[in-house]
Amino acid sequence: MTKQEVIDVIKKNIVENLDDIKAEDIDPMKSMADYGANSLDIIEVVSCTMRELNIKIPRAELADIKNIDQLADRFVQNMNQSPQA
Amino acid sequence: MAKKTSPALVSIEKDDRGVTCISMHDAAGKNVFSEEFAAQLIAALDELSVRQTPSVVVLKGLPEVFAGGGDKKALVGLAEGNVTTQDLVISEKLVAAPFVAVAAMEGHAVGGGLMIACASDIVLAAEESRYGAVFMSMGFTPGMGCTTLLSELVGPFIANEMMYTAKRFKGRELVGRGTNVNYILPRARVLPKAVDIALQIAEKNPKAVRLLKRALAARKKKLLIDARLQEDLMHELSFSFPETKAIIKEFYVE
Repeated sequence: MTKQEVIDVIKKNIVENLDDIKAEDIDPMKSMADYGANSLDIIEVVSCTMRELNIKIPRAELADIKNIDQLADRFVQNMNQSPQA
Repeated sequence: MAKKTSPALVSIEKDDRGVTCISMHDAAGKNVFSEEFAAQLIAALDELSVRQTPSVVVLKGLPEVFAGGGDKKALVGLAEGNVTTQDLVISEKLVAAPFVAVAAMEGHAVGGGLMIACASDIVLAAEESRYGAVFMSMGFTPGMGCTTLLSELVGPFIANEMMYTAKRFKGRELVGRGTNVNYILPRARVLPKAVDIALQIAEKNPKAVRLLKRALAARKKKLLIDARLQEDLMHELSFSFPETKAIIKEFYVE
């Protein structure tokens, strides 16, 4: 899966979890909080996305991530470490 | 135990229309049930049950957080087997209260925080906020009456989903799913609607309101007793699982 595809999965879950936002309006260089996500929204987006990508990353390891692009990088890195079945 | 220097985390207020509110406003602690928060909430419930005795009370939290449930320190303490919490008393006091409790959940309500709503009589939620029975995400079984009272509020199958998955449902997601939540509204409309309902109740003869409340609460009191029978045992077991402490530490959401 390419990074762009990972970003698209994240965007889809942002659209499903936040109000009044379209995928094409989401700039990956911004954080979810910039689009009105509260802390519980972010947890839900991240856990939905990890389930969909079939990866597991402890929450503490995601604490320093600043924007959607960095989150996608971290997910891609994890997917490369542990190839999916 | 004089704790005069403790900041007010929970206050009894009257709004400009004279409606009595219990306001939970521990901004720093995000309305989780710290020892002090729980003590103040219980004191407020006692004050309104025994001394001031209004016929209806609106329970409100912060705009972002209604109430958060057990605090991390207390939960880890339970897993270490060396503390007891007062959390259980909160649902008991609410169910036994002589006033009609209207829970105005503008903000999130998770775990024990959601149980405040379940123990209330009329419940309002916000489309933007999240509601979850998150106990199982931390490795222990639901408490504070969740196993019998949550299904009263949201229906048995949604309650199952909430308890087993521990997912924090967005208010908007619950719209149209046939729950028994009285209103799920945009956040800004939650408190005004709760006050409007309270005003309608407040204009009824308080003596008759209290009689009706006692009758309608009887079923809930029994449900809470049933819950305690199973929840206390499950807590004794699940908090003593050797892995529970680590799961709480990893998955507790600050």
